[in-house]
Amino acid sequence: MTTVQETRTSRSTSPTGQSGSPARGPWLSRTAFALTLGVLTLVFLGPLAWMFLTSFKTQNGATQLPPTLLPHPATTSGYHPLLNTTSQTPVIHWFLNSLLAGAANAVLVTVTASLAAYAVARMEFPGRRLLWGMVVGTLFIPPFLFLIPNYIIVSKLAWLDSLWAVIVPSAGGAFGVFFLRQFFSSLPHELEEAAMIDGANRWQIFTRVVLPLSRPALSTLLVLQFLTNYNDFLWPIFVLFSPAHLTLPAGLSILQGAFTINYPVIMAGAAIASIPAIVLFVIAQRSLVESVSRSGLKG
Amino acid sequence: MATTLSPRRATRSTPAARRRGGGWVAYLFMLPYLVIFGGFIVLPAVYGIWISLHDYDFALPVKPWVGLQNYQDLFSPGSRVYSEFWESMRATGIFTVLSVPCLVVIPLGLALLLNRKFPGRTFFRAIFFLPYVLGVAVIGLLARYILDPNIGVVNYYLGKVGLSHTIPWTTDLPWVWVTLVGVTVWWTLGFNAVIYLAGLQDIPPELYEAARMDGAGKVQQFRHVTLPGLRPVLVFVVTTTLLASANMFGQSFLITKGAPGNATRTAIAYIADEGLVSFRMGSAAAMSYVLALFLLVVSLVVFRLFREKEAA
Amino acid sequence: MIDTPTSPLSRRRFLSLTGGVGAAAALAACGGTSSPGGSAASAPQASDTGSGGQEYSGPAVTLAFWNGLTGGDGDVIKKMVNEFNAQAKNVKVTMNIYQWADLFQKLPAAVKTGRGPDVGILHIDDIPTNAARGIIVPIDKVVTALGLQESDFSPAVWQGGVYKGLRYGIPLDIHPLCMYWNKGVLQKAGLDPEKPPTTKDEFMSALDQLKGKGIQGHWVTPFQFTGGFEFQSLLWQYGGDTFDSGLTKATFDSDAGVQALTWMVDLVKNGYSPKNVGQDADYVAFKNNKNAFNFNGIWQINDLKTTSLQWGCGPVPQIGSKKAVWGNSHQFVQLHQNSPDQHKVDATRYFINWMSQRSAEWATSGKIPARKSVAESADFKNLSPENALAEEATYVHFPQAAPGIGDALAEMYTAVNKAVLMKSSPQQALSDGAKKATQVLQDNKKKYGA
Repeated sequence: MTTVQETRTSRSTSPTGQSGSPARGPWLSRTAFALTLGVLTLVFLGPLAWMFLTSFKTQNGATQLPPTLLPHPATTSGYHPLLNTTSQTPVIHWFLNSLLAGAANAVLVTVTASLAAYAVARMEFPGRRLLWGMVVGTLFIPPFLFLIPNYIIVSKLAWLDSLWAVIVPSAGGAFGVFFLRQFFSSLPHELEEAAMIDGANRWQIFTRVVLPLSRPALSTLLVLQFLTNYNDFLWPIFVLFSPAHLTLPAGLSILQGAFTINYPVIMAGAAIASIPAIVLFVIAQRSLVESVSRSGLKG
Repeated sequence: MATTLSPRRATRSTPAARRRGGGWVAYLFMLPYLVIFGGFIVLPAVYGIWISLHDYDFALPVKPWVGLQNYQDLFSPGSRVYSEFWESMRATGIFTVLSVPCLVVIPLGLALLLNRKFPGRTFFRAIFFLPYVLGVAVIGLLARYILDPNIGVVNYYLGKVGLSHTIPWTTDLPWVWVTLVGVTVWWTLGFNAVIYLAGLQDIPPELYEAARMDGAGKVQQFRHVTLPGLRPVLVFVVTTTLLASANMFGQSFLITKGAPGNATRTAIAYIADEGLVSFRMGSAAAMSYVLALFLLVVSLVVFRLFREKEAA
Repeated sequence: MIDTPTSPLSRRRFLSLTGGVGAAAALAACGGTSSPGGSAASAPQASDTGSGGQEYSGPAVTLAFWNGLTGGDGDVIKKMVNEFNAQAKNVKVTMNIYQWADLFQKLPAAVKTGRGPDVGILHIDDIPTNAARGIIVPIDKVVTALGLQESDFSPAVWQGGVYKGLRYGIPLDIHPLCMYWNKGVLQKAGLDPEKPPTTKDEFMSALDQLKGKGIQGHWVTPFQFTGGFEFQSLLWQYGGDTFDSGLTKATFDSDAGVQALTWMVDLVKNGYSPKNVGQDADYVAFKNNKNAFNFNGIWQINDLKTTSLQWGCGPVPQIGSKKAVWGNSHQFVQLHQNSPDQHKVDATRYFINWMSQRSAEWATSGKIPARKSVAESADFKNLSPENALAEEATYVHFPQAAPGIGDALAEMYTAVNKAVLMKSSPQQALSDGAKKATQVLQDNKKKYGA
C-alpha cells in the first residue's frame, strides 16, 4: 500500500487533497482538518484513557459525581483480585488462553485451508465441482446456525470447558479455503510446471514452490483468522466455564457480573486485557492493517 | 463473497498440470480440512434440523419427537415463543437498519480524510483501528460504565455544557439504540475505513487528472471517479457489515442486557437464551433456521440491487 | 394451543424423506431421541445410596466444589473451605466460584460431560429444575445422619430442598431482602436516623420530607436485582402470589400485583425516584449519599461495612396489608456423576455435614442461618446488624419452585422492567407477562411431566 504511494508523483493528489486547489485559503482548511482530527482522536482515545484512570481509583472515587479526572486517592486495589493467581478472576491467564486459542486456530485454519485450496486450484479429481460448490455454499450460512448443534457435538466430544472447543470447530469455515484458492489460482503455472519436469511430486511443488510464493496471502489469513477468533464472543461464553479455561471475552463478561459496581476492578480487568492487545497492535500495526485491507480487495 | 472483487480473472489452468496428481492425492490434500468441515459445518447443519424436530434437552433421557411443532409455534400468535421471537427479530432488524448505513458512510468519510498526505497519518489510522483490536468485551464494559445514566461521565459532561444530564443511554428507548449503534460504530469503524483506504489507493491518479482536465469539481470527481472506483470494495463492505450487524450479540448482552423489557435482546441472544439457558434446544434450532433464511433473502436482495445498479 | 393435533410430519416420514435407513442410523448415532450412554438415568427414581457423612475414613480424595458465592460471600466461604481442608485428613476441597446465572447455565453441561463438580450450592428455586434434569442426586441419608428435623427449620426452607418426595438440598441459610438507610442523608433532611420507617405512612412521609429537601429518597430499579425482589415482596404484602398453588398458572397480575407495581411506578412518576435507574445504580447512589432508602439483599451488609458510610439495616417496611418479604436460601447439593466413586460420594457428604454445622460462621457473610437452633444461638444474636433481620425469617417468602421455573420468573421480571421504565402500564405489563409465564408453566409441565 505505502509503496504504491511512493511511486506516485508528488504532484498527484488524492481525491480530497487540498494541494491541487489553491482557491480557498489553505490555512483555513488546514485548521479545520486539524481540528477534525483532534476531535476524533479525543473521541477515540478519551474513553480508553478514562478506563485506565478509573482502574486506579477507589470504588467510591470511580462512581462519585462530579467525577475527578485523576484518581484521588490513587490505589492499585482494583488490580488485586485480578493479578492474584489463585483468584477466581485470573485475567492474565485469560489473556494467555485467548492468545493460545487465537494462534492455534489461525495456524490450524491456514494449514488445512492451504492444503485443500491447493488441491481445488490445481488438481482434477472426481466430485471436484460438487465439493467446491458445497464449500462455497457454506460461506453464506451465518455462524449462529451451528450454535446449538455444535454445542451438543462438542459436549459429546467432551470438549466443553476446554480450549479445543474454541480452536477446532470454527476452523471448518470456508473463508480460508476460498481466500487461498483465489490466490493460488492467480499464480502463474510456469514455475510449477518447471518443477514437475524436474520430477518433483505434488507435495514438493506445494511446499517448495507454491507456499513460498504465497507468503503475503498466508500471513493475511493468519492475521484475519486470529482477529476473528480473538474477537469471538457468543461461542466462548457458552462453552467455557472454569475460571482457568476462559478466554478474555468470556472472562470479562463474568467479571462484569462478579463485580457489578466495583468499577475500578472492572476497568482494571478491561485495562489488563487491553494492554497486551495494544502493545501487539503497535508492533504489528502495519501488517495487520494491510491484511485487513487486502481481505476486501484481493479476495 | 469476494469473487466479484477479484481484479484479475484467474488464468485457466492447463490440462497438463491438472491431470497429474489424480484423485486420491487431491483427496489426501483435502482430508484434514474436510474432516473439520464435515464435523463442524456439514454435520451440525443437518443435525440441527434433526434437533429442531424434537423437544430436545440434552440433559433429559427422553427427547420427544414433535415434528414441525417448533416451527409452527414461531408462526402462531399466542404460542409461548411467538411474541418474544418476533420482538427479538425486530431488535435485530432495527439494529441492522440503523447501523449499516452508519458503518458504510462514516468510515468512507474517515478514509477520505486519512487519504491525504500529512504527518502522522499512520498514527491516526492506527488510532481509529485500535478499538477493533480490543474486542467486544472490553468495549462493552467500558461503554456500560461511561454511559451509565446516573453515574456515567458522559451524562455528567453533557450536563456541564447545558444539555440534559439524565439521558437514559442504557435503559430506555430510543437511547439504547443510539448507544448500541454508536458504540458499534466506534468499535468497528476502523475496520471498514482501512478497507476503503486500500480501495482509494487502488484508484489510478490519472483518472483524477483526466477529470480535472474536463473541469470536474471536487464533488463531481467524487461521484464519477471515486465511487465507481470503490464499487467492488463497497459491495464487500456492505455485505460484510450487513452480516456482522445481523449477528450482533455482545453489545446488547453487555451494555443493555436487553432492556427496556426485551426491546434490545437480539434474535441471536434469544436463540442462545432459549437453547443454552432454558435448554429448549429444539425450539432454538428451529429459530436459527428461520433467522438464517431471513438473512439469506436479505443478502440476495442486496446483491440484486448492486447488480441492477451495475446494469444501469 | 396446548393440545395440538398430532403433527403432520411423523418421525418415520421425515426419515423416509431424508434418505431412509442410512440417515436414520447416522442421526441416531449422533444422539437422536434415546441416547443409550452418557445420559443420566432419570434421577427422581434413583434412591439414595451411600453414607450419611458423619465422618470419612476412606482413602485421600479431592472434591470439586462449585458455587455462585461472589464478592463478600466468596471471602467467607473461602475461609471456611480452608478451615475444612486444614482439619480434614483425607479430603481436600478445591473451589470454583461462578455467577449464579452462569452456574445455572453451565452446571448441566459440565455434569453431562463428566466435568462436573462433586458438590455445589444452589438456590431453592434451582433445585426442582436440576433434580428433574438429573443434574443433582438425592441425599436423604445426610438428613438422617445430621439429625435434621423439619421442626428446626422454617417450613419453606425445609420443603424447598425436596422434589417429588426426595431430598436434594441441605439448607444452609436464608437471605431475605432488607432495607438499608443512609443515616447521613436522613439527618440532612431532618429525619431521625435511628428511627427508620416501618409502615407505608411513615415511609411515604419520610420520602416527602426528603423530596422537600431535593433528595430522591427511594430509587426504584427496573431490574431483577433488586426491583424484581421488591415487587415480589410487595406482591406478597398485598396478599398476592406469583403462581397458583399447582404452578399451572401465573397469578402475579392479580389486583395485589397491580397494586404493588403501581406503588413502585408511582414513586418514579411522583419524583421520589429518578426515571431509568440503571442496573445497581440505586445502590451506588445510596453509597454516594444520593439515595436514602435502598431495598437490597442482606448480602450487601459486608460490602457496606467496608465503607465509611453511616448506615442502618432493618426489615423492609410493611407497605401492603400484611408482613412479607422476598427471600431465598442457599442449599448444598450433590452432583450426578457418570461413573460415581463411592469414596468421593462419602467424602462429599462429610464435607456438607461439616459445613452445615458451621452455618453461624457462614452467617457472618450477611445471612440468617437456616437452622433455628443456630439462629437463636449466642453467636448469631451477637452478629449485628444481621440479627435485626431474624424477624424477617418468620414471614419470608421463597420463590415457588418447579422444574423450569426460571423461565416463568423471567417473564415477571420483564414485566417489572417494562412498567418501571414506563413502557407500559403496570396492569398491561403484568397481564402480558402473566400470559407468557402461564404458557411457560404449561410448556414445562409438558417437558418435565406434571
